[in-house]
Amino acid sequence: MARQIVHRLLISFPALLGVLFLCFCLLQVVPADPAMIIAGPDAKADTIAAIRLELGLDRPIPIQFLDYILRVLRGDLGRSIISNKMVSEELGLTIGPTVELMLGAMIMAVPVGLALGTLAAVNRGRLTDRLIMAFSVAGVSMPVFFIGLILIQYVGFKWALLPFTGRTGPVWAGGLPSLILPAVTLGAVLIGPISRLTRTAVLEVLGADFVRTARAKGLRETVVIVHHALRNALIPVVTLIGLQAAFLLGGAVVTETMFSWPGVGRLAVGAIVSSDFPTAQGAIMILALAFLLINLLVDVLYVYLDPRVQRT
Amino acid sequence: MSVEALGTAQAPAPAGRAGVLRRLMRDKVAAIAAIALTLIVLAAIAAPLIAPYDPYFTDLTKVMQPPNETNWFGTDNTGRDILSRVLYGTRSTLMLGLIGVIVGGLLGGVLGILAAFYPRLDGWIMRLVDIMLAFPAILIGLAVAAIFGAGLTAVVIALVVATVPDVARVARGAAVGVMGQEFIEAGRAVGVSDSTLIWRYLTLNCISTIFVFLTLRFGQIILIGSALGFLGMGAQPPTAELGMMAAQGRDFLFMAPHIATIPSLAIFVIVLAANLLGDALRDVLDPRLQQ
Repeated sequence: MARQIVHRLLISFPALLGVLFLCFCLLQVVPADPAMIIAGPDAKADTIAAIRLELGLDRPIPIQFLDYILRVLRGDLGRSIISNKMVSEELGLTIGPTVELMLGAMIMAVPVGLALGTLAAVNRGRLTDRLIMAFSVAGVSMPVFFIGLILIQYVGFKWALLPFTGRTGPVWAGGLPSLILPAVTLGAVLIGPISRLTRTAVLEVLGADFVRTARAKGLRETVVIVHHALRNALIPVVTLIGLQAAFLLGGAVVTETMFSWPGVGRLAVGAIVSSDFPTAQGAIMILALAFLLINLLVDVLYVYLDPRVQRT
Repeated sequence: MSVEALGTAQAPAPAGRAGVLRRLMRDKVAAIAAIALTLIVLAAIAAPLIAPYDPYFTDLTKVMQPPNETNWFGTDNTGRDILSRVLYGTRSTLMLGLIGVIVGGLLGGVLGILAAFYPRLDGWIMRLVDIMLAFPAILIGLAVAAIFGAGLTAVVIALVVATVPDVARVARGAAVGVMGQEFIEAGRAVGVSDSTLIWRYLTLNCISTIFVFLTLRFGQIILIGSALGFLGMGAQPPTAELGMMAAQGRDFLFMAPHIATIPSLAIFVIVLAANLLGDALRDVLDPRLQQ
């Protein structure tokens, strides 16, 4: 298992460098010369040159890249052009809400998806199965913002049941109502794929010998389904949830923008729209790192859940 | 037996095109999806001919009108006809999806097949694919938009980069399977050149798998493209693109919900039809992909 994890870490390393390089490129394309911006409009040429030297802008690109990596490792991501705050500080404020949103979406989607998938598998071929599968195809085909628009329009505005802009605070400090609509929007995207795969996995397991044994020894059907079938069907589902991480991150960017949720995605979009390059690269970097981390975790979890993986 | 005969005779007999179509049409859902998608594509192609109004013509005397007899889908906040804009928007949206799938599919297919054919390249290509997989499509879109500015180019690059790694994996998987078959060895033994082996023996035998996978991805690619449009990273106003139209309508959601709802619904219908057709096509052409 340790070997597997080390192998996985080694694979992640080039990807990590790729992420950093892309973010470094983002800073390189700042349209104006940073030295000129710092020096101000009336600065003399030698002042600008001095600042360039001080910032290391005269050195070759590979050295600057190395320098950038070292700065990132120290947590120094530069200053926002718009707010003049440290980018790391702004990110620190937004990571929490994004994690909260993604967790909220998972807590909503995973049980619902598992339940629907199992229900469909048990009722294979019947109306329930068909309805659930139709529902899940529809869910997979729906743009995230469509679900959000409908929820905002009805639940938020017409029926005024829940707040739909911003975040009132952490969940433990009365922020739950403001989390519900964004989390449901984001989670709705996940229900479809999870229920589809759960159905396939449970169907496969239901035909296995140990399920027949469980039935033969007279266990109740619920026990057979939940303890024997569903538990073994979970392995592919865990992988799927990992594979959906990209989906979840992308969806989070859209959801945050729609609901004015103060997360990393909204920060990134806002920064790009206002050409705030340092903030944009910081936010994109955090999102990409989060994605790498989620995949790493899923791989480790997978090895843990299914010891057969180690041998492959 | 001639070399030519070896290449074709040993390949699994492909179901005739008519056979595939007939089997597809037997499935009612697939048939409806196929017809719907064909109609949508035709409508998008014929947009300049069938659009009732100029999609860019603003008429401030009739802003935000709900669907009615003269404007079937209503008008937007500047009085433009939404039906005409949806037709043109479908054009841009489908175009983005097609470019993403075709360019990404070609690049990914070539990478995957080369990786399977040349074991020396395998490690390098798959590492590259791993790195590409480390970037969710929306992030690539955001990064490209940050570098080159928002626009259709940013979306196209994001969609291509999002398609390449998955296709490369599927193509490699299919090609590795074909490589293990005897006719490849036979071809080598009679001195068939590498390029012929790659094209006639390998690629032609993998193409249906890659094609089915791309149809399955098409809907998703369109969803990613329209999400980027929604975020303002794609087509810029006044260009009609469905995702961007939904985003514009969001500002008037409480006064005129149809402005945002209709383009979103259009995306939903396109993606749903594409997904249903992709699923059915997979069952007919390549049941192995099913899991």
